[in-house]
Amino acid sequence: MAHKALAITAWALATLGAIGVAAAWLVAGGPRGVFPPGAMTDGHHQIGLACESCHTAAPFTDSTQATAALNDACRACHEDELERADDSHAGKRFRGPRMARFRRALDAQQCTTCHVEHRPEITRPGAVTVAMDYCVACHGEGDQDIRANRASHAGLAFDTCATAGCHNYHDNRALYEDFLLDHAQQPWLLASPQLAGGDSRDAESPPIPAALAPAAPASALTGPALAEWAGSAHAKAQVHCAACHAPTTAADAPPAVIEQAWMVAPDATPCVACHEAQAATFARGRHGMRAHPLVAPARDAPDFLTDACCGLDTLGAWLADARLPPKMTVADARLPMRLDAAAETVTCISCHGPHAMDMPKAAADACATCHDDPHTRAYFESPHYDLWRRELAGAPAGTGVSCATCHMEQRKRNRRGKTETSHNQSALLRPVEKMIRPVCLHCHGLGFAIDSLADAELVAANFRGRPSRHVPSIDWALRNAERSGARER
Amino acid sequence: MAGFAETLALLTVDEDGVPLHLEQDVFDCAWAGAALLDLAFAGRIDTDLDGLHVIDDTPTGAAGLDRVLDKIAAQGPGVDTRGWVRELSGVEAVAIRDSALAALTARGVLAARRGGRYRWLDAEEGLAARRHLVATLQGDDIPDPWDVALVALLDAADLLPEILSVEALEGVDERLAQLRGLDLIGREVAGAVADIERSIILAVRARAARFRRLLLHLGAASVAGCLAILLLPRIGIADRFGPTLGERLWFGSDWQEWSGYALLAGSALALSAAVFLRRRSGARGSGGHWWRVAHVGVGACCLALLVVHTGLRLGANLNAALMVSYLLALLLGALAGVGTYGAPQLRKLGVSPRLRGAVLRGHFLALLPLPALLAVHILLVYAY
Repeated sequence: MAHKALAITAWALATLGAIGVAAAWLVAGGPRGVFPPGAMTDGHHQIGLACESCHTAAPFTDSTQATAALNDACRACHEDELERADDSHAGKRFRGPRMARFRRALDAQQCTTCHVEHRPEITRPGAVTVAMDYCVACHGEGDQDIRANRASHAGLAFDTCATAGCHNYHDNRALYEDFLLDHAQQPWLLASPQLAGGDSRDAESPPIPAALAPAAPASALTGPALAEWAGSAHAKAQVHCAACHAPTTAADAPPAVIEQAWMVAPDATPCVACHEAQAATFARGRHGMRAHPLVAPARDAPDFLTDACCGLDTLGAWLADARLPPKMTVADARLPMRLDAAAETVTCISCHGPHAMDMPKAAADACATCHDDPHTRAYFESPHYDLWRRELAGAPAGTGVSCATCHMEQRKRNRRGKTETSHNQSALLRPVEKMIRPVCLHCHGLGFAIDSLADAELVAANFRGRPSRHVPSIDWALRNAERSGARER
Repeated sequence: MAGFAETLALLTVDEDGVPLHLEQDVFDCAWAGAALLDLAFAGRIDTDLDGLHVIDDTPTGAAGLDRVLDKIAAQGPGVDTRGWVRELSGVEAVAIRDSALAALTARGVLAARRGGRYRWLDAEEGLAARRHLVATLQGDDIPDPWDVALVALLDAADLLPEILSVEALEGVDERLAQLRGLDLIGREVAGAVADIERSIILAVRARAARFRRLLLHLGAASVAGCLAILLLPRIGIADRFGPTLGERLWFGSDWQEWSGYALLAGSALALSAAVFLRRRSGARGSGGHWWRVAHVGVGACCLALLVVHTGLRLGANLNAALMVSYLLALLLGALAGVGTYGAPQLRKLGVSPRLRGAVLRGHFLALLPLPALLAVHILLVYAY
């Protein structure tokens, strides 16, 4: 009997202890990998354990407030992007009383109505967690019934609105009717296909003036590093070795001081110090999102625990969140990647190299050192790659098409037309039609671009060939315009 | 000579003095049958077309039997033997067993201890009863009608494998079939007494079989349900806009919350039934078959609720651990039910009776982490 009582007591204590530990890990800090109720979407999985990045409300907050906080967190990271896309269904459009019935059908003011995390089973392309015929909620009846308003849409199913290359929910910059009409007559290839942007060709390596001889410990001036640096933009701009390897020293610091502060393999901090804009966009893409300022930092154990002795410090270590590696590794990626690159982290030098700052390599070859999907592999046999090789061989800048050409948008930096490269390589990925205006239309006609991007096989083949799909958006827009014109006449 | 009830008590107290924790429903049928057989052999009751009735209301001297006799006398004719077995296999079975154990205590065979246990003072009597039972089963002689009735009663309630070792029961199938036929009673005993004994044995067998069948079916259905959850693909959701049933049930709506609460309540009920069952199954109680039916029935309902709550989804991380633990507890519980109530069939298939004990222990062990996992699951739902 005593054994039985002892066993029951031990079980009760173990149960209470387990609940206590789990509650402490939830509320205070600790390893939380066991808690997520489902895998996260491709867009967020890298920061999945920084729960407070999205769950900004305190634990056990009322569910309405918690949901509001969750939506605020979505907007904090994605609002800029949506504004740039001239969001067709911005939440503010649904505020008025006239929109009440639509809000009841689909609360478009809340991001979490359509995008809910941890539900892999119902997560569709674009992290959408409602059925793909969601347009029916507002455009299926009454004066909003698109099938009644447009003769061309009469027999269409609602699950084709956003999946056939015709419309997107947020970003319709290249898909709205007037734009279609304006670009309806374009040929598949424009007369002067060329992308505005910087010259990607290698600058010739200037000789290093004696006055600019790099201040570095002799032991570091071995191997190809010096030669690579000498041919780089850094050398042109007089950025010395010490600027990156001993960034805490003054520009004119004596060699002894530099040697003392020397770091053999510095992290990305010196890069960020000069290339702030690039770093900011890098942190918005999937390569660098762990460095995004809004990713919640790991929670530390309470000071009184970490400062204490007698075993409490061990408890303190236990009640601290596991630190996310500051950079993504290739193995973290969900796209097919090269196995030999699995352990690599994605930093500035992953693409640019530590010394050469080889821009052409960074624009194309560097991608293929990690990415191993059909689209990447096909690039090197594609017409785009041929153009890129020609540009490297001397054709006018902007006539070649590298990976960066399509995936790293050239954005205007100022009114004089000076551009800079966005390092958010994910910004134009999904839906693919996002790419039309900032990228495709520099060289191709709108109809060809829409058709090409709607052909998944052609995308996988990296646009080697002609689109086998035809999206009739432009045809319908023209027909509609003709009908309207006839009515007006 | 000890009566049927006393002999049953002697046979079902183990060498440590602990009364066997047998399935109370069939065991209670055996106590009811033993009391009726004692009264029939003592010439106190008889049966005719109107049912079972008292023919001599002189007390037997055994408190439990006299209580039953009074009850039958008070009721009068109109209730048949099956009705009386059903009536007596409830709370009355406790009194019959307690009376039998008290008689053995009074005779200096057993001494009562705390916690419903006993201590053998004269273990030889218990061993002699077992030896005699084995001799009846393994011998070739025409046995005494009393022995035939005892063997038939134990067989009807399926208690022989619980009382005797596998070795003792080896090779007795033919003999058992002969004894089970009950022809030997008729050959040795005058017709009227043979009739009532037969009807008692048959009533016990029918009553025991009824419970066994009900619980066997529930157990088998639960095993099938658990395997279905583990093996079948999750229930899909129509890709159609609007609050579909599947989305409401399985993806974070209020419906999922309520099905979770219902599952929690069902689990608490099943646990309560198990606790009541265990308390009533102790030495001081009996008649726990309705608690057993409740335990198994609510367990099967929990399985259905689990499907409503999850849609055959195993979940991820902590939820997966909870689901596996819960399913394991249900599966082992259902298997224990099948092992218990399908014992005769399983014996024919060569499944060791010891396996049932192991499965039951597994069922209990699988329950241990559940409260902690459930609590953390609920914490998690409300924390974020």
